[in-house]
Amino acid sequence: MNDYKLIIMTDDKQVVLERILQVTRYRGFLINGMNAQVNTGNQIATIELFVSSERPIELLIDQINKLIDIKGVKVDNKAENNGAQQHSA
Amino acid sequence: MNSSKPLTGGGLLFEVLEQHGVEHVFGYPGGAIMPIYDALYDSNVKHFLCRHEQGAAFSAVGYARAAGKVGVCMATSGPGATNLITGLADALADSIPVVAITGQVATSAMGSDAFQEIDIFGLSLACTKHSFQVSDINDLENVLHQAFEIALEGRQGPVLVDIPKDIQQAEVTSRLEEFSHLTNKVQLPLADISNAIDILTHAKQPILYVGGGVGMANAIDEVRSFAEQTGMPSVSTLKGLGAINADNENYMGMLGMHGTKASNLAVQECDLLVVVGARFDDRVTGKLNEFAPNAKVIHFDIDTAEINKRRFADAAILGDLKANLPLLSMSLNISEWQAKVKQMKADFGWRYDHPGSKIFAPAVLKEMSDLMPKNTCITTDVGQHQMWSAQHISVDDPCNFLTSGGMGTMGFGLPAAIGAQISRPHDTVIAVSGDGSIMMNVQELATIKRYQIPVKILLIDNAKLGMVRQWQDLFFDGRLSETDLADNPDFSQLARSFEIKAQTITEKSQVSEALKEMIDHQGPYLLHVKIDAKDNVWPLVPPNTANDKMMESV
Ligand SMILES: Cc1ncc(C[n+]2csc(CCOP(=O)(O)OP(=O)(O)O)c2C)c(N)n1
Ligand SMILES: [Mg+2]
Repeated sequence: MNDYKLIIMTDDKQVVLERILQVTRYRGFLINGMNAQVNTGNQIATIELFVSSERPIELLIDQINKLIDIKGVKVDNKAENNGAQQHSA
Repeated sequence: MNSSKPLTGGGLLFEVLEQHGVEHVFGYPGGAIMPIYDALYDSNVKHFLCRHEQGAAFSAVGYARAAGKVGVCMATSGPGATNLITGLADALADSIPVVAITGQVATSAMGSDAFQEIDIFGLSLACTKHSFQVSDINDLENVLHQAFEIALEGRQGPVLVDIPKDIQQAEVTSRLEEFSHLTNKVQLPLADISNAIDILTHAKQPILYVGGGVGMANAIDEVRSFAEQTGMPSVSTLKGLGAINADNENYMGMLGMHGTKASNLAVQECDLLVVVGARFDDRVTGKLNEFAPNAKVIHFDIDTAEINKRRFADAAILGDLKANLPLLSMSLNISEWQAKVKQMKADFGWRYDHPGSKIFAPAVLKEMSDLMPKNTCITTDVGQHQMWSAQHISVDDPCNFLTSGGMGTMGFGLPAAIGAQISRPHDTVIAVSGDGSIMMNVQELATIKRYQIPVKILLIDNAKLGMVRQWQDLFFDGRLSETDLADNPDFSQLARSFEIKAQTITEKSQVSEALKEMIDHQGPYLLHVKIDAKDNVWPLVPPNTANDKMMESV
């Protein structure tokens, strides 16, 4: 199992958390934790998601990125790969 | 609109539908959607009352696929909404633009286990491209516009809008000047064109692997001229059928589990796959790590998430296929490979000789294909008859072959044909169904009767859940478990009770005349064709096996 930390920038819409969790589970990633402040009245929210899986993280990044409310996803995993990859929506 | 009444949420719905060019919707009323049905009463949109919400959803799918427009369906809360789900899942798997409207209990009652309350919004997360629940009448107009935009944008798909009853009834006090367009479109990485050109120029044995994305991208002309200019041998997925013209001498037909022998052997031997709008589905690849083992991959798609999902792409070209594919067009020096492929095609052509007097379904489908008028739209159900249809009917456009590909949903064929016929009233529409599948949405015969929809139904009856029976015979030691349908109803009599003309045939000698009668009949018609229960679909690549190890008989 590899551990990853994702940083997700999203429009601060209702249920965006639920959507991200559903996609993450369905695509085969175990959710180990998250930090999120949503519905704050700001337009944009940032979500940190800690996941683990045997599968390459790019598979999850691409799927989360496709969610309509998502602005961008990057992986911040110092242990796995130095330097973060940027993917934007 | 009745101008004396103030505009309500329900009335606004139909105004927005009309703004998006929607003329027809499929649905079923109930308590929590009554204000919308009340507004329908004054609307120019024509509503078709289906006899089950699943039928409404599939008719919307068939409508969308046959006409290349958004299909719209609606249902009440609770059981009405859950009945739409299979249709939405089907639309998601096959990337079909559908907008589903559901009524919901009033906002004040939500979350109280109210009568006919279900969290359809929660349920929709896994089976739609996106969904909305409207909690303020002032959001409704924007949400509805966005639903259409999302359904059609990028990789198409179904969108659900759940509207509580009080929002449907609320008075609309302000209208939008313009709705807010989507902002978070996925930015596609730069296409790897020069790398792709390099790979293509060095290929000696390339294959063009054509998927459903070609029709959806409106890129049929571009793909055909690419196939012509490169002279590249081509194969198609189930959903791609019709994208390449059947008379292209380098086209080998469908690949995968029930693909042609020539297609599967050629793909296993190729050194390059040019993939257009396809996704390496497991029914296509067989054992994935033995699929086209020597091939490099150039992958064209609109969906970033399909690149490297199941097979690494040496070059990825994301974006509009129509614009991108011509960038790679060139003439190739592959005459040896073409000759080899043509030889395989000649060696492994279909055979229609079949001993005895019993009817041979592949021959019926081939004959029907030769007889049917140009632009006939075929829909199928799921099972052996579906695979035989894919193998033996030739169509010249993917919008003329509607089948449940990704989801493989029995019950698709009849309601999809109804939707297709409504969207294309001047074309012949034929649903090829099975004796198992037709019973899954048989209530839609009542929709055919009510609106006198001239759909033709070719019912291939083997008195079995044939495809499952075939697998039980081949892979479960012939232990036939729950696949016998010997007690089927009398299908012709059933059709007649819905005032649909019908005929049953059992012998080869009856086929030609019966097909002609069906095709020439002006109204709806059911041709019930009894076949041998033991006929199998060949070739068959067994599960988790490489595609060149197909079985061709028992
Ligand atoms: C809704 C649904 N339930 C179950 C299945 C599994 N299944 C696939 S093919 C098949 C048999 C279909 O029987 P029939 O419509 O008579 O077609 P045949 O294979 O006999 O031509 C079944 C049960 C399915 N695809 N869809
Ligand atoms: Mg059957």
